[in-house]
Amino acid sequence: MHRLIDDNQDSPDEMTELLKSQDNDTIIDGPERPNITNLPDVAIIQTSTDGENISSNAAATASSHSRVEAIDPQDHETTHRHRRNEQPDEQRPLNIEHEEIFKYGASHVVKLFVPVSLCMLIVIITIKTTSSYTPGGATWAYTPFTEDKSTNTQRILFSLANTFIFMGFVITATVILILLYKFKCYKIIHGWLILTTLMLLFFFLYSYFSSISASLNRPIDMITICFITWNIGAVGMFCIHWKGPLPVQQAYLIFMSALLALVFYKFLPDWTGWLILGVISIWDLIAVLCPKGPLRILVETAHERGEQIFPALIYSSTMVYMVTAVDPPPSEPQFAPDNINTNIAVNVDETLNEEQRNQRAAIRNNNARRQLIPRSDVPQTATRREPARYVVERSNSPVIDDDDDDEKGVKLGLGDFIFYSILLAKASALGDWNVTIACYVSLLIGLCLTLLLLAIIRKALPALPISITFGLVLYFSTVYIIGPFSAELNLGQVFI
Amino acid sequence: MVSLSKKSPEERLNICRKYYRAGFAFLPLLWLINAIWFYKQAFKVESYPQQAQIRTYVIRSAIGTLIWIIIIVAWNITFQLLRTKMGPLGDFLTFVYPRGYY
Repeated sequence: MHRLIDDNQDSPDEMTELLKSQDNDTIIDGPERPNITNLPDVAIIQTSTDGENISSNAAATASSHSRVEAIDPQDHETTHRHRRNEQPDEQRPLNIEHEEIFKYGASHVVKLFVPVSLCMLIVIITIKTTSSYTPGGATWAYTPFTEDKSTNTQRILFSLANTFIFMGFVITATVILILLYKFKCYKIIHGWLILTTLMLLFFFLYSYFSSISASLNRPIDMITICFITWNIGAVGMFCIHWKGPLPVQQAYLIFMSALLALVFYKFLPDWTGWLILGVISIWDLIAVLCPKGPLRILVETAHERGEQIFPALIYSSTMVYMVTAVDPPPSEPQFAPDNINTNIAVNVDETLNEEQRNQRAAIRNNNARRQLIPRSDVPQTATRREPARYVVERSNSPVIDDDDDDEKGVKLGLGDFIFYSILLAKASALGDWNVTIACYVSLLIGLCLTLLLLAIIRKALPALPISITFGLVLYFSTVYIIGPFSAELNLGQVFI
Repeated sequence: MVSLSKKSPEERLNICRKYYRAGFAFLPLLWLINAIWFYKQAFKVESYPQQAQIRTYVIRSAIGTLIWIIIIVAWNITFQLLRTKMGPLGDFLTFVYPRGYY
């Protein structure tokens, strides 16, 4: 923000600046990162070595998606972004730009709704149709205390204990991730991610199929199941870690998030789940916004090094980018050199932009690219992984070009998918559609607000807190206040 | 994740070839995706030197997918019909035992 104000002499008017930056921010461009080696990292899954039953092992292994910022190394070579002229920023017909930008931005926000809704849909359908994904089964290594206590006070105490243990894992995982990243142990991170995806795609898929088959009550033979699991898993590894068609990749990311959310939902005891949702949002907020927050440190380190942020998976509406934070700044400029209107958000692109300023032919717009970077999840080898939280980050990216439409896109971290789906799954457990729909709408509204805030603030933002807060508030108010209220109204035949 | 039009023809050929070769490891889904993804490249785009190769890969992938589909369908029909009559082998191969209804 400050940079914008400093450099931009063309628009002394703060309002215009804000508006422009807002416009810019609403545009989401796909990242074009040059020469990023192909080290896509995907969700990190840790296999627990504890000797619990298989399901708790499975649960332990699920969860944490590492954040992913996927950048497709191949695509930056031929970007056709054109930039607007630097100088006449204020001379541009603002109306046209705004229209262009708004139209572009809004559609991308909506494009983000579709995958989130799909993920939630998958989770809810699975829960409703199969019985094995209901909570209360085996105990998990990460939430060792059960909630079958006699008094409410005891229950709360044990839930709090569970939550803190869980958060301890998350924080440790995040810190380890940051340390690994700081010390440039990229290979470890990369290998870890591959292991996780492997685990997730094969093991959880297998257990998912077994649950589905059990609920369908049809005999399916082992050979077909193994074959299907092998196929879906192998193709998933291909698409996620290497190159694959975009819709297939998006579908895999959605499906994996849904799988993880299901595992979480199954293994989190009731009250612990709510507490964890709340505490994770707060942690998200702290880790991203505080000056000493781990994720912020991560982002800034990546920024200093001019590298991509920690490799992880990010869902993008048009392009999924895989990032490997291994290479030094690419030789080919991906981003247009900043013009004076460029925002310097906490992102990696800044260094690139400056370096490549002279090489770019066109001047880019100040379109900020919104990245939701997952945070926190660095699974440790011995423990499980925590789900990644995602941070919304903006960076400037180039522009709007019709040819480049497929490179621009909204990106959202997979951890957000997972937690939204968990919230909705818990809301739907009551069987009351009022609650479910209320929570769904509140989650989407929270997402909208987060994206809007991103447009205004243009810094890394956590994507969880607002939505989860709305979701929680609406859940509890609907269950305890609105539900009985409408029931009473119905009884009394009073229509509002 | 990648936009094929942004890649050089060699890279496209490379990707197509890798998908084709990997599909031999009992992965008809890979072949299916290969065929669909590169269909446009093979037939609908202006020709470039590697297009002939890509075309062969796409056609072979499609044929391979069809063959696998036939195999899978045939096996499943056999299994569903003969499961109860196969004795211990049938039970061993069954993944999920249907519950009785009560």
